[in-house]
Amino acid sequence: MTIGAVTEAPVSVDQPRTRRRSYGRYALGKSVGALGSLGFVLVVNFFLFRILPGDPGRNLGRGRMDSAEDLAAFNEAYGLDQALPQQFLTFVRGTLSGDLGTSLRYRVPVSDLLVDRMWPTLLLVGTATLLATLIGVWIGVIGAWNRGGRFDRFSTGGSLTLYSMPEWWLGLLLIATLAVGIGPIPGLFPTGGLSSPGVDATSLMGTFDVAWHLALPVTTLTLAYVADYSLIMRSSLLDEIGEDYLTTARAKGLRDVQVRNRHAVRNALLPTTTLVALNIGFVVTGAITVETVFSIPGLGLLSTEALEVPDYPVLQGAFLVASAAVIVANLAANLVYGVLDPRVRA
Amino acid sequence: MSNRSVVPGPLGGEMGRDLGGPRVVEPVKRVRARDAVLGVLEGFRAGQRRRGRRLIGRHGGQGIAVRLFAVFGVVLASLAPGLTLSPAGAAESDPVRFTVAYLNEVDSFNPFLGIEAESFEMWALMYDSLTGYTMADMAPEPSLATGWETSEDGLTWTYTLRDDVTWSDGEQFTSEDVSYTYGRILDGGPERTTWGSYLKGVTDVATPDDTTVVLTFDKVSSSMPLLPIPIIPEHVWSSISEDEVKSFGNEPTDGQPVVGSGAFRLVEGTAGGSTYRFEVNPDYWEGVPHIDEIVFRVYKSEDPAIQALIKGEVDFVEGISALQVKALQGRDGIEATNGDSPGFDEISFNAGSIDTKTGEPIGDPNPAVLDPAFRYALNFALDRDQIIDVAYQGAGQTGSTIIPPAYAGYRWEPPAEDAPTFDLEKAAQLLDEAGYTVGDDGFRTLPNGDPIGALRLYARTDSQTSLDVMEFFQEWLAQLDIDSEVRAFESNNLTKIILDGNFDAFEWGWYVEPDPTSMLSYMTCDQLGGWSDSWYCNEDYDALFDQQQSEVDLAAREAQVQQMQEMLYYDAPYLVTAYSSVGEAWRSDRFACLQQQPDPGGVYLIQYGVHNYVNMRPVAEADECAGDSGLTQAASESGDDGGITTGFLVGGGVVLLVLLGAGGVVAMRRRGTVGNRE
Amino acid sequence: MSAEVQPGELTPRITARQLSRRRRRAAWRDGWTQFRRHRSGMVGLVVLAFFVLLAVAAPLIAHADGLEVTRATGGVLEPPSAGYWLGTDDKGRSVLTLLIWGTRVSLLVGLLATVISMVIGTLVGLLSGYFGGRAGAVLFRLTEWFLVIPFLPLAIVLATVLGPSLLTIAFVIGVTSWPGTALLIRSQTLSIKERAYLERARALGGGRWHQIRRHILPNVMPMVFANTTLTVTIAILAETTLSFLGLGDPTRISWGSMLDDAYTVGAITTGSWWFIVPPGVCVVLVVLSFNLVGQALEDVLDPRLRGRR
Repeated sequence: MTIGAVTEAPVSVDQPRTRRRSYGRYALGKSVGALGSLGFVLVVNFFLFRILPGDPGRNLGRGRMDSAEDLAAFNEAYGLDQALPQQFLTFVRGTLSGDLGTSLRYRVPVSDLLVDRMWPTLLLVGTATLLATLIGVWIGVIGAWNRGGRFDRFSTGGSLTLYSMPEWWLGLLLIATLAVGIGPIPGLFPTGGLSSPGVDATSLMGTFDVAWHLALPVTTLTLAYVADYSLIMRSSLLDEIGEDYLTTARAKGLRDVQVRNRHAVRNALLPTTTLVALNIGFVVTGAITVETVFSIPGLGLLSTEALEVPDYPVLQGAFLVASAAVIVANLAANLVYGVLDPRVRA
Repeated sequence: MSNRSVVPGPLGGEMGRDLGGPRVVEPVKRVRARDAVLGVLEGFRAGQRRRGRRLIGRHGGQGIAVRLFAVFGVVLASLAPGLTLSPAGAAESDPVRFTVAYLNEVDSFNPFLGIEAESFEMWALMYDSLTGYTMADMAPEPSLATGWETSEDGLTWTYTLRDDVTWSDGEQFTSEDVSYTYGRILDGGPERTTWGSYLKGVTDVATPDDTTVVLTFDKVSSSMPLLPIPIIPEHVWSSISEDEVKSFGNEPTDGQPVVGSGAFRLVEGTAGGSTYRFEVNPDYWEGVPHIDEIVFRVYKSEDPAIQALIKGEVDFVEGISALQVKALQGRDGIEATNGDSPGFDEISFNAGSIDTKTGEPIGDPNPAVLDPAFRYALNFALDRDQIIDVAYQGAGQTGSTIIPPAYAGYRWEPPAEDAPTFDLEKAAQLLDEAGYTVGDDGFRTLPNGDPIGALRLYARTDSQTSLDVMEFFQEWLAQLDIDSEVRAFESNNLTKIILDGNFDAFEWGWYVEPDPTSMLSYMTCDQLGGWSDSWYCNEDYDALFDQQQSEVDLAAREAQVQQMQEMLYYDAPYLVTAYSSVGEAWRSDRFACLQQQPDPGGVYLIQYGVHNYVNMRPVAEADECAGDSGLTQAASESGDDGGITTGFLVGGGVVLLVLLGAGGVVAMRRRGTVGNRE
Repeated sequence: MSAEVQPGELTPRITARQLSRRRRRAAWRDGWTQFRRHRSGMVGLVVLAFFVLLAVAAPLIAHADGLEVTRATGGVLEPPSAGYWLGTDDKGRSVLTLLIWGTRVSLLVGLLATVISMVIGTLVGLLSGYFGGRAGAVLFRLTEWFLVIPFLPLAIVLATVLGPSLLTIAFVIGVTSWPGTALLIRSQTLSIKERAYLERARALGGGRWHQIRRHILPNVMPMVFANTTLTVTIAILAETTLSFLGLGDPTRISWGSMLDDAYTVGAITTGSWWFIVPPGVCVVLVVLSFNLVGQALEDVLDPRLRGRR
């Protein structure tokens, strides 16, 4: 059985031919699906973390809560002594009304914690995604258009190498060279954290300060993402290059660059767009390792720490946010794709 | 020849593809409205790195690349002078700021809720308590209370309070605040959990006047007169109900610092946050501190914190390893030491896990570890010096009993002939005497002749030290002809295993408070199924425990505690391996007059009390330190506050670069002239 | 496909099995020739072979005692020297020995995780693609949902619950990374399902399992094979990351755990580059090689690219 058997007679057309569905029905269908996923995630979210070993009260209270009554009081105060189904109902009711519970470790409302920790992660991953998209698309386009040339080989090789690298290792190297300094290279960047003490984060100086602190982490993540995006952009553009409409465009007398930018790239951008939207969804967890290495107080780090207690409300909240982000990004990507590519709605 | 192949397309459906045959324009085939997203992923996985032999496009793109790089280069070059600007020195009007790097967050600024050691430090800065701790040995000393006296039977304690203390919002501090605080604790709820143990047996808190508090007990409490409970302002906290207190963060709101009477005021910070900022209290009753601000920054690991210290971003780093202390020693302007922290690490055995309700044995401990004689023999199979050298990187002291050397009064030293030395011959002899002789297969057997089997040694995944110690232990056991296996567990898992009794030995540690009652309690029968992790239960020990808990005479109490340690030493549910130390480092070229607690040999921060924060001075005033030994002296002068200035320039440069780059990209996209549009 | 020979012909009769074996061998030879043409693929293969050799021959090259903390003889964090080519770690062990032995764990876990992932992914993808209707939709939903869950937290939770051991880590990685494969196999199955010859097989009375086994599976296998090498890269990177986060088996050395040690011990502060750089370089080399080999394999095996020489 050789592989050649695959290339056979053309595929039969679906019978009967489906009518063109309107975009509205497409969008509605996708939205309903997203809601369903969200509900599913809610349920699993709760039970997933209950399988974690450990009694939060006991873990937190080691050496401090001396008696069984103290432990019981703690459990009672935070609702841990109720039966599991009861806790689940409380959780669902609370989530639907916006109350995500109280953190077991910090004893403050979880929503406050999440909001506090969310914006560093968003800043970090958002900036990196934006930069990586711009740079990656550009590299992929140039590389694919001049396939085989020096730039292409160099950039593809570089992208592959970056793709094969754990991004946190790259971060470690960057810290060692650019933040600590090696030999003649001075340590120009801070080694961690989000801002310098005593600087008002909302002022102009504060913005520069935050930018300075985020320079290395953003670089690390950008390099990691660029590898991904440039490779896929390159391959999807390569897919387009052989198409007929490009020959037509060239025959009309358009310059090479315009053929590339106006026609080929636009169509080739579709898969990349979707991938970018997906990656935005993975914002929360995309940065866990980088946050660890650079001490950025973000959502990813909050989740990993909460796992040790285990701090159920924080875990549920963070996980919910993360999953919701992915689902919403998924939905957005589907909807956008539906707008950009009319073939999908057929 | 038309070579049409049907392939998974980026839409999850299928697309016809022309692969190089004659151009046949064909409408795209049936496409199912699949999930576009997943389809993209399919396509991505299928073709993400395909290299087909395609038409080679005309070269046109490289010119643009060169141009872009040129633009970036120019921008970079223009920023170069900015990057190498030498930083200006700190201006005269800059506040004196002491920046501390923590490796763990504060978990709550609410003194009734927090648990972490860092949180305790925060409350000590914000609030005062009736008694403080001496620097020499953590004994109680006057703080908000100027003195105290007790009745003959020890059941009534009268404290005299200061009259010159004001809260930061101007209200006068009175005994009402004390009785309110203690009242909340005695009422139960979360307040009681953290501080209730200091008020054990209190039946009444009376305030005959504004500067007197009388505590009435129904049984003698040996922890008195120690009352380190932070006193909260009644006029602020009376509006927080019992229900609210369990999630009340006690954090600054609307720019207003938290109301307290302590040496500093919290102006910025949230639980779980990474920066906490304190400003000095200019009306502090003990005298105004010599620094204006304290900032705490949380780092997630030691390396970045140490780098920050070296570069001058922080002034003090707390909780680094001995290796890093070694690496820092010898650097100009930086002092690094290993301070004794009153805690110990031990190898704990399963001394008899039972069901607390029925008294029946549970779990599967090896019969050997249930025997005190077996355990005691193994005391001499530990080369504690080597453990300190390798597992603790040379920092720490060898262990013997559960009361660390820092608490000299309570501590018991084993007699010289039973001192915990590394003596395999002695261990072998003791084992033989106890009936664990070497069998035919070369391994020791139980007294009844059965083989011992492999002892299970459990370590914790989050502690490299615990793993190293257990691996050493395995090695030494092998030299005694005892087989064993080392396994690592996550701490939560290990706790469960301990509670189920399914272990032979594990490695863990405890932190010992100045009042030994809580540490001693973990070995009582009452704590089985609770905090007892060795399942040790001895009625004589429990009797002594009750006695020392209500013993008023300090000398008598110390004797009782020492007797308890002696019991534990020979019964050996724990083999104390080491007294760990905490590595600290600070910029001695910036601050001076820090004192250790206990003095000498202890730690400089996260002490009991805030002595160092109140007494430290910038290095320029170092000669005014209250002249005690053990205070840090000024090192060579070197100032580097300019890191921040450089930072702004670099940060600005980065932002500028990005904007320029984005602008350049956008500009190029728009280059097409009208004429080229179709 | 049997070779039918007319009676009276001089050509010797060969059996169907012989014929298919001949064809298969020819296909292999053909594929190998094509693969050899990829310079990058060959380079990747050579590097991989080197590392596999290193892993297999580890006990011969570096004595196992070098891993024991209790038998460490070197100084703490010493730079490379004649005695220790890559210096020592914070316990006095030779970094080179750790590196060599770490190859075993990294490769082993990577391969094991890949096997698990491929088996689950192929099964789910195949079944979900072949069986339409309820069953197929359910499987598809399952795949979709697994895709939505962020990988790292799920992996951390599972690793925490199941305890630290090589098997657990491999299982965790395998269980969290199969959706990608499942999607690919599913779409491939869908496209194959519509083949005309499959209809013929159905018409001839071929049952479902017969179709899957004899027709669909062999057509899907090349994609599976090519995808495997790419899955290994994900698995190795995941193992390294999980070990770096402290979730690996602490009693075994892997490249990830070396980097974790280096980081927690302060290799950056002490300037111990010999502890930080080599494990990462090894990971990059191995993963890169798998990538290159995988690319070359895809070129050779992907039906889309076939015949486009």
